[in-house]
Amino acid sequence: MLTTLLEPFAYAYMTKAIGVSVLVGITCACLSAYITLKGWSLMGDALAHAIVPGVALAYTIGLPYAAGAFLSGGLAAISMQIVKTKTKLREDAIIGLVFTAFFALGLLLASINPMAVDIQAIVLGNSLTIPDSEALQIAGIAGITLLIMGLKWKDFTSIFFDLNHAKSIGLPTTALQLVFFTLLSATTVAALHTVGACLVIAMLVTPGATAYLITHRFRHLLMLSMGLGGLTSGLGVYMSYFINTHPGGLVVLMQTGLFLLVFGLTRLLKRPCLIG
Amino acid sequence: MLDWLIEPMGYAFMQRAFVSGLVIAVACAIMSCFLIVKGWSLMGDAIAHAVLPGIALAYWAQIPLAIGATLSGLVCASTIGYLSHHSRVKPDTLMGIVFSGMFALGLVLVTHLHSHVHILHILFGNILGITTADFIETIAIASLCALVLLIKRRDLMALCFDPVHTATLGMANGRMQGMLLVILSLTIVSALKAAGIILVIAMLIAPGAIGFLTTKTWDHMLAVAVSSAVLATGLGIVLSYHWDVATAPLIVLIQTGFFLIALSQARR
Repeated sequence: MLTTLLEPFAYAYMTKAIGVSVLVGITCACLSAYITLKGWSLMGDALAHAIVPGVALAYTIGLPYAAGAFLSGGLAAISMQIVKTKTKLREDAIIGLVFTAFFALGLLLASINPMAVDIQAIVLGNSLTIPDSEALQIAGIAGITLLIMGLKWKDFTSIFFDLNHAKSIGLPTTALQLVFFTLLSATTVAALHTVGACLVIAMLVTPGATAYLITHRFRHLLMLSMGLGGLTSGLGVYMSYFINTHPGGLVVLMQTGLFLLVFGLTRLLKRPCLIG
Repeated sequence: MLDWLIEPMGYAFMQRAFVSGLVIAVACAIMSCFLIVKGWSLMGDAIAHAVLPGIALAYWAQIPLAIGATLSGLVCASTIGYLSHHSRVKPDTLMGIVFSGMFALGLVLVTHLHSHVHILHILFGNILGITTADFIETIAIASLCALVLLIKRRDLMALCFDPVHTATLGMANGRMQGMLLVILSLTIVSALKAAGIILVIAMLIAPGAIGFLTTKTWDHMLAVAVSSAVLATGLGIVLSYHWDVATAPLIVLIQTGFFLIALSQARR
């Protein structure tokens, strides 16, 4: 029994995949606490699709893929802002327009150069085959993101909840928002590898929303979200060894299942959230 | 010039791609006008992702894919509706949770049950390699959707612009919204095998946005949306033949080009 349960850890690629997945899960979940409360959920999805052309281009010309991803993510955010100021279109339509255009560009680049760009890996991810160099990039991104969030989480909280208050107490709000956006795009890039572009949104939204249904207090919400994100991410990849299926899909499925479970409990107890 | 346009038409597979592409473009473009006005643009995105588990299960149970996909799309829409009525989480967050969860379920089912289903074809479409059965199914469902939308366009427009008004007129808002969702799911399903998820999502947003920016009346908006979608699709198919690149992404990019032109002309 125990030998079977420990079997996945005998393989170096499994241990690495689980480790990377847990790191990415914790980092995404940390940001998701802010994103879900701010109503930026679909922005995360848009960003995940919008970085694909950058990644495709980076693979084609041999740049580090994080650089390409950041560049096209930033371009997408700027285009959304421009369209928003120039038209009366609703925000959701603008998000949809921009991310489909960027994603299509990525697919087009991939179809021009199918050998250099593994589009399936970008879109669906595959944590079991991450090369060491990219695992290091991911660990670096996760480490820096968690460090900055750990040092500045209170500042971010006040910006997200009450921008005017944050301004009046002298916080550099624009700079901090820019930092948050940078961390978000970097984390999205890291998450591409574990779950792929289509499912990044789950990692960036579901843990935070689940924690929001459990507790009132933001500090608890943040910790809980990170715990849930890390746990489901590790467990999903671990279980994919036994069930023989897509590891990223299983991670997200567990997160969604957990959300529905907590939602069911809140309905059962007839309370907006479980504690408090 | 004419030769350049006609040459691709010499091939049967190109003719099929052309016909199915145009029918899908018309249906999606009409739908997109309603979605833009109703503020449901990302509903198309959500449903297009959420049909995946239905497709996987339909393969497994050997029933028509369209049935599985439509049911799956409706489950997604009604789950989002139920959750947002009964929890304090924001609706856009719930939309993200539900469709990504369903997409993940589909991915897990596809990889586990049958690895021969070509997931990339569902994602990106394969308009040049469409089979006869799929071709007929696509044309039939998409024309039906376009027809119903055109016949019901006055009622649906009133619902999208001003649901309070339609309620006071005594129309059944809930039933009409349900109908709109069913047609949306069917439109997506009809287009999926030919066009792929990403092209469907783009087609359900861009034409309506172009119409919205350039016109002032509802019927003009519909006309502009449909013609821009048809033009982009036709051009995309011909150009992808000559340039040897993927068809669906090229159509999306041409459509984006049209949007940028509309944007530069639009008055604030």
